[in-house]
Amino acid sequence: MDDYLIGVLSNIGVISFLALSAYLLLLTGEISFGQQAFFAIGAYAAGIATALWGWSLAAALVWGAATGAAAAVLVGVPTLRLHGLYFAIATLAFAEMVRLLFELFRYQIPIDGELVGPNGVDGFGNIRYIFENDIGPLQFLLLIYGLLAAALAGFMVLERSRLGVIFRMIGEDEVLAEMHGVAVARHKVLAAGIAGAIAGVGGGLYAHLTTYVEPRIFDVMLGVHSLAYGLIGGLGTAFGPLLGVLIDIGVLESIRAFAGYRMIIFGGLVAILLIFRPRGLLDEFVVHQIGRAWRRVWDLVLRSARQPAASGG
Amino acid sequence: MTAATRLQLFSALTIAVCFADALSAAEVRAKADVTCQPTGISLQYDCSIRLTQARTGVPLTDVTVMVGADMPSMPMMHNVRPMKATAGRESGSYEIRLDLEMTGDWAVRLDLTGEVRDRVVKVLRFEQDRVGPTPAKAPSQNKH
Repeated sequence: MDDYLIGVLSNIGVISFLALSAYLLLLTGEISFGQQAFFAIGAYAAGIATALWGWSLAAALVWGAATGAAAAVLVGVPTLRLHGLYFAIATLAFAEMVRLLFELFRYQIPIDGELVGPNGVDGFGNIRYIFENDIGPLQFLLLIYGLLAAALAGFMVLERSRLGVIFRMIGEDEVLAEMHGVAVARHKVLAAGIAGAIAGVGGGLYAHLTTYVEPRIFDVMLGVHSLAYGLIGGLGTAFGPLLGVLIDIGVLESIRAFAGYRMIIFGGLVAILLIFRPRGLLDEFVVHQIGRAWRRVWDLVLRSARQPAASGG
Repeated sequence: MTAATRLQLFSALTIAVCFADALSAAEVRAKADVTCQPTGISLQYDCSIRLTQARTGVPLTDVTVMVGADMPSMPMMHNVRPMKATAGRESGSYEIRLDLEMTGDWAVRLDLTGEVRDRVVKVLRFEQDRVGPTPAKAPSQNKH
C-alpha cells in the first residue's frame, strides 16, 4: 500500500477516537467543545512515557487513557451540573486552559546530545518509539484500526446494554431519567470518564504517529471538528462519527485542488448537510432502516440455504 | 458469532501482531537542518536539507527522504502531500521545492527510509519574502 494512503488512513483512524469521544457525550445530551484537551493530555502523557521514561507503547497508551479519563472525571464532577450552552462554554474554557498550560509545560532530558521532551510553545518532538522499535507504517495502521475496532466493539456492547439505554435516556430527557431512578450525575461523570479515556488513547496514538506535538495542534479548531464528526455522520450509531471523519478528511483530500480554500468549501458543505439532515447522515431512523433491510437479506440467505437442503432430503 | 465479537477478535489479533513484532531498537537517530527560501513564485519555496547522525555528526547519505508539511494550527486540514527530495551536491544534503497552501507556520516532516528509518520534524515560519524559525513566543503573547 502507498505510504501516502497509509498516512491518510492512519489520520482517519486516530481522529476517529476523538470523534467517538465527543459522540459519547452527545449521547448523554451534552455538547463538548473540549474533547481535544483529553486528546492532548493523552498525547503528552503517552509521548513522555515512551520518549522520556522508556515505557512500552502498550503501557504508554494505557497511561494516556488513564490520564485522559482522570482529567475528564475531574472536570466532569463540577461541570456536568451545567447544561446546554453553559456546559459547552465550560468545556471550551477548560480545553483552552489545558492548551495554555501545555504552553508553559517544560520537561526535557538530554538524549543523544539533544534535549527531548515538552518544551512549552516549541512543542514536543522526537517521540520516536515506532522508529526505535522498527514498527512499520502498515503495522502501526493495523494497531490503530485494531484499537479502533476494540472501541467500536465496546460501543456496540454498550448500545445493547442497560448502561447504553441509560445514556440515551439521559440524552433524551434528563429529568425524566431522574424520575425513573437513574443516578444522572453519576452516569454523566462515568460517560465523561470513558470519553476522556477514548480521547486519551487517540492522543497517544497521534503523538506516536506524528512524532511531534505542540499546544497549537489542540486548539478549538480540533474541538469543533470532533463535535462536527458526530453531527455530520449521525447520532444513530457509533459508526456515524467515523463516517463524519471519513467525509471530513476524505473530502479535504479530494478537493486538494482548492488549496487554501478547502476549509471554506468544507464548512459550506457541512452547513448544507446539517440543514437537510439535522441529526446527521446515519440518524436513528436510517440506522433502524438499515437494520431492518439487513435482517431481511439475512432471512432470505438463510431461507435459500435451507431450501436446497430440504428439497435434497 | 456477533458483530461485536468479530470486532473484538479482529482487534485482539491486530494488536497482538503489532506488539509482538516490535524489533530491537534502531541505533541511528537522524538530525536535520532545514533552510528554505522563496523562489519568487507565490507560495513556492526551495528547501535544502542537511542530514547527519545525531550522535556522531556523520552525514547521512544513502537514504530516501520524503518531505511533507502540516500546519500545526490546523492538523490534517492543511498539509502538503509528501514528495521525494533529490540528493544535493554535498554529502548528506538533499533538496526539495515545497508548494504550500498559505503562509504561516508549517511543520516540515522528513521521513527517512533506507540505511536509516526515522522521522524528523522542523517547524518553520514561511512568509512571502523569507523563511525562518518560528519566533520564540512567550505564552502570554500567544493569547492575543
